[in-house]
Amino acid sequence: MLSVALTKRLPGFALDVHWDAGEAVVALVGPSGSGKTLTLHCLAGLIRPDAGRVALNDLVLFDARAGIDRPSRTRRLGYVFQGYALFPHLTVGENIAFGLKGWAASRRRERTDMVVERLGLGGLQHRHPRELSGGQQQRVALGRALATDPDLLLLDEPLSALDAPLRRQLRDDLARTIREWGKVTVVVTHDLGEAYQLADRVIVYEHGRVLQSAPKSELLWQPASESVARIMGMRNVLHGTVLKATPDRIQLRWRGQTLEAVNSPSRAYLPPPGSPLAFFIRPEYVRLIRKDRGAPDPSHHMNLMSGTVVSQTDFGTTWTLAIRLDEPGAPAQGEYDLEVEVPRLVHEILELDRDRRWQLSIHRGSIHVLPA
Amino acid sequence: MDLFPVWLSLRVSLVATALTVVVGIPVAWFLARRRHVGKEVVAALVVSPLVLPPTVLGYYLLVLIGTPGPIGRLLGSLGIELAFTWRAAVLAACVGSLPLLIRAAQAGFESVDERLEQAARTLGRSEPSVFWSVSLPLAWRAVVAGMVLAFCRAFGDFGITLMVAGNIPGRTQTLPLAIYDHVQANAMREANVLALLAVGAVIILLVGVGRLARVRY
Repeated sequence: MLSVALTKRLPGFALDVHWDAGEAVVALVGPSGSGKTLTLHCLAGLIRPDAGRVALNDLVLFDARAGIDRPSRTRRLGYVFQGYALFPHLTVGENIAFGLKGWAASRRRERTDMVVERLGLGGLQHRHPRELSGGQQQRVALGRALATDPDLLLLDEPLSALDAPLRRQLRDDLARTIREWGKVTVVVTHDLGEAYQLADRVIVYEHGRVLQSAPKSELLWQPASESVARIMGMRNVLHGTVLKATPDRIQLRWRGQTLEAVNSPSRAYLPPPGSPLAFFIRPEYVRLIRKDRGAPDPSHHMNLMSGTVVSQTDFGTTWTLAIRLDEPGAPAQGEYDLEVEVPRLVHEILELDRDRRWQLSIHRGSIHVLPA
Repeated sequence: MDLFPVWLSLRVSLVATALTVVVGIPVAWFLARRRHVGKEVVAALVVSPLVLPPTVLGYYLLVLIGTPGPIGRLLGSLGIELAFTWRAAVLAACVGSLPLLIRAAQAGFESVDERLEQAARTLGRSEPSVFWSVSLPLAWRAVVAGMVLAFCRAFGDFGITLMVAGNIPGRTQTLPLAIYDHVQANAMREANVLALLAVGAVIILLVGVGRLARVRY
């Protein structure tokens, strides 16, 4: 259990965050400059917070009121810095053994060899960091942090220094390494895919505050606010007006349509009729209605509407269509109202290249309301 | 001819360089890494020997260490005489050399990526250990460059030395002072030999250090 409460004022920036995590791996995500790295620095004792408390299980690392501020060297942590911060004057072996000062020489060699082997760095022990590839440097940094058998592992953008193809492969390796070593881990990233693959809990930061802290599955389906939805890269974040709200349904008006949505199952949201309401529709959950199967059945196809594909983009395995509804007035998102994502195969079967006019249906469970 | 000034100058500048390193490196590290209020004051004090006339520096140094001065009296009561001895020449050389060493070493420490020092801390190292195993090894080339500058400055000091150590042949007459005396006495051959020795010593030093500092990471 990692429990974090921190405030820190810097010129032009204020950090004020509070979160707890019972999970093994936590990801801090958010735009750059939102205070993620500063949080790691405070956890590591490299920066002294103005107030707050940091505790890992029963061990208090920092408590402003009780006057506890353990120095970094006694916090038993492993820190993988952005860009790795390997010691350029030391070899791979010396880098990994750096935290093992005071160990008997034979034990130190044993431990270093074990780490080198487990991280797949065999044969590189006598190289200097500048002679390594980006991926190898990352593994040395990880090995150096893990060699001391820390209680807490902190990773700051562990993959951002790498090229895209390498990144995807190393993400798998990193995920596996983290699971294998089983340390409580906090990883800072601005890449949501990375956060989802590596972490159990995702904490969304913006402007030095926590917007939402939730298990990752919950975050995907129930962002706490429009800001979280935007930071998480949700598409089709739209604004409508409430017609009627009950604990399990919300009816709303948007672009001349009456949409029915499921209310948030964890905390029902009951705005009075007429209030503005943000919601989002995941583009992969919009259904195109096949024309070869007869007229749509309104009892089966909810939230029916019709429109025209105004543009489309090929993403390789999927296509993204921009659809403009058959309604007068300005479209909701510039040139179009909705983004719709279809698998490549569906794109071919429906002959979307040829046919631009479509009827759409959105299940009420796929319209997610965003509390103001 | 009398080569005493050559040996004296070498001894004075070596001792002065060592002393400068001991005093200067902690100051340089402090200036590079700490953000205290007093930092600007220390920085200004450090630079002042570079901009003040040597005779002014020598004058104040003499006021301090001369027999009636505060430090002079203290040392006198311990039976140590400082002014107008070779030790005073060492002190004079130090005053001139310190700013050069400090500024070079400070630049060296500042160029060390702070995250490397932070990494060492998170890996369980104490502050002295961080300094010896990370900061110094990574800044050492700048430190050595500062030492060379400090040595050369000490070797060539004229004004401050003249003020506090005098120009006593066989006791405090260093190489630059001897050259000056020879020229005054129109003994150009002796002046020439000493000048060539000075040039030779400095070139040997620079080439040697240049080779040593060629290791790259």
